[in-house]
Amino acid sequence: MSRFSKILLALLLILALGALAACGGGGGGEEAAPIKVGAIFDLTGPTSDVGAPYAEGIKGYVAWLNENGGINGRQIELISADYAYKVDQAEQLYSQFVGEGVVAFQGWGTGDTEALRSRIAADQIPFMSASYSANLVDPAEAPYNFVIGTTYSDQAIIAIKWAMDDWAAAGNEGKPKVALVHHDSPFGQSPVEDAKAFAEANGVEFISMAMPKGATDYVAELTRIQEFGANYIIIHTVSSPAAVFVKDARAQGVDAKIINLNWCSDEFFIELAGDAAEGVYGVQPFTPPSVPVDGHKTPMEWAKANGKEVDVHFIQGWYTMDVMTAGIRKVIEEGKEVTGPNIKAALETLTNYETGGVTYPITFTPESHRGNLGSRIYQVSGGEWTQVTDYITAP
Amino acid sequence: MISGTFHTSYQADMALRRTWLERLRLGLFIVFILAFPFLVGKKPYPIFLMNQIGIATIGAIGLNILVGYTGQISLGQGAFMAVGAYTAGILTARFGVPWWLTIPIAALFTAAVGALFGIPSLRLKGLYLAIATLAAQEIIIWVVTHWEAVTGGVDALVVPPPMVGSMRMNTDFRFYWIIWALAGLTALLTANLFRTRYGRAFIAIRDQDIAAEVMGVNVFAYKLLAFAVSSFFVGATGALIAHYRGIVTWERFTIDVSVLYLAMIIIGGLGSISGSLFGAAFMTLLPAFLTNLGRSLRGVFPAMDEFIPYLQQASFGLVIILFLILEPEGLKKIWDDIKNYFALWPFSY
Repeated sequence: MSRFSKILLALLLILALGALAACGGGGGGEEAAPIKVGAIFDLTGPTSDVGAPYAEGIKGYVAWLNENGGINGRQIELISADYAYKVDQAEQLYSQFVGEGVVAFQGWGTGDTEALRSRIAADQIPFMSASYSANLVDPAEAPYNFVIGTTYSDQAIIAIKWAMDDWAAAGNEGKPKVALVHHDSPFGQSPVEDAKAFAEANGVEFISMAMPKGATDYVAELTRIQEFGANYIIIHTVSSPAAVFVKDARAQGVDAKIINLNWCSDEFFIELAGDAAEGVYGVQPFTPPSVPVDGHKTPMEWAKANGKEVDVHFIQGWYTMDVMTAGIRKVIEEGKEVTGPNIKAALETLTNYETGGVTYPITFTPESHRGNLGSRIYQVSGGEWTQVTDYITAP
Repeated sequence: MISGTFHTSYQADMALRRTWLERLRLGLFIVFILAFPFLVGKKPYPIFLMNQIGIATIGAIGLNILVGYTGQISLGQGAFMAVGAYTAGILTARFGVPWWLTIPIAALFTAAVGALFGIPSLRLKGLYLAIATLAAQEIIIWVVTHWEAVTGGVDALVVPPPMVGSMRMNTDFRFYWIIWALAGLTALLTANLFRTRYGRAFIAIRDQDIAAEVMGVNVFAYKLLAFAVSSFFVGATGALIAHYRGIVTWERFTIDVSVLYLAMIIIGGLGSISGSLFGAAFMTLLPAFLTNLGRSLRGVFPAMDEFIPYLQQASFGLVIILFLILEPEGLKKIWDDIKNYFALWPFSY
């Protein structure tokens, strides 16, 4: 080995020892007042374009809360790290943070939420994430998962419900035809079954198709949809492919109305689709900043004071942390110790918790962790999301 | 310092550890593995890391048999682990097969699948074979996510925890013993494999397959055998993951995992068992080390807070590149250099 590489190796070893000592020392200490909450974010991975503002929202909320007296004087210590959507890394970080004494956990994507599902039940750590899959709402299967956004199934049902009302309001006879295009993954396939069942129960003709991964255009899918004669197209994927789909739809002259579900109803979609985005509808459980409500005031003030940008994902992260804090606050007010099972019990008594109009009032019960039952419909008008209807709920 | 090592029997000459110093090092290592959970006070996080290393070691040894010893590049590691994990998961969850039995069954089934996807190796070598195994990776993941009747499609497969009597076996501490016992067994089996004619045939194929064919080694049959044996251990890895984590999702068996394992054996050392262990340990500990480094730096350089995740990702790649430039034969070579230096110490001139 050359001299240079020997020195490099020695340097790496010293750094390693130093870092290990640092992290080893940090975990100790007596029963401190701060409440530790663990969080993992995707800041550099495949979903980082939406993961980064979401992370800022969570971190912003904790900073704001601590600046304003914490919870009855107790601060929240957010222990967080980037995991770049690698499931193994998520598990490693989870194990590390649980070892450091976190009492609750904020996850991010479907991959890590699913992978950690049984672990958090065994370790009794309440878990919230940005994965709104319907199989997380049953406490019998996922006792420690709490879903704060409207589930993908519910969003699809809300979209179909609105489609039926819109069809009738336009003076049309009978029922509309609805097509659902979705991402080719567990995230994408999550709402298909439930949407199909709802459609068939209401006499709505329904087809669904997966958008092939890495496709550069969706001409084939759109042709099939036109042959089916869909009047409404529901898109359930992230903003990038949704924008391409909508551009292709406009170019092909497809006259169906397009409804995006929450992961493509954001500012990125409008940016990427440009003019083609005009007139597209969206189901978004978290009110975008372009439709100001009371709940937007505090996050926007804090963000302005700290030089952060606010978009719908920032609001999403902010209020996800807010609901978790509501549970922790209840535990402290009842004079109980802040532990995982106590936070779970407290969250399960949360009824019609108001988020200043940002979301439908949040309710958890011991039988259902489906916290958010409704969403408004928005439409892109003049380059931003505007409100079209009030809350529509899924049964 | 070793000098004057004389063997008086073939047995002693062919032993896996021929000198007292080698035996001592192995003994120390085994003592360390046995004592480790108690040394860290049974804390779950370090034991979890060791479990990850142990599972990765078995997978890396499996891949090393194929890539390091037989010279057949394979990008299908993630998919074969998925086959093992789903087989074990489905057998346990749907058919109630005892968990300890599902591991060998999953391994055998994965060996068969591996041999099937090894058939292109008859005509393809090097980069072309890598593409064929990449096809295996994509096809298997596609089958797993779309064959709803068997695998439940894209939903996660929940595996009931392995029980012995009424004791749940997949806590970090208890599973540690299972993983490292199997890792030890894998290492022993592989070391012995390469003392037999089959192992020597694999090495002959790697070194010069045309000469091997001329010498009478049935190259195609042995290549298929290499795929099968390698996939056996890789399938066992997948089955262990299924039982340890209690939940099987396809998202943990993507192409990234295949690349990660290739990086493990290249950094650790191709064609060696201890190399697989070093590589597995290095690639498992590196992200943990970088995360903790980032966290301790956060307090020191608050202005850099935003850049730390990007620095972490960059460091990951940089370390791998530095390694390949400065020591292409991997960690095993560094370890061998250290051993050789002390072999003649203090008379190493």
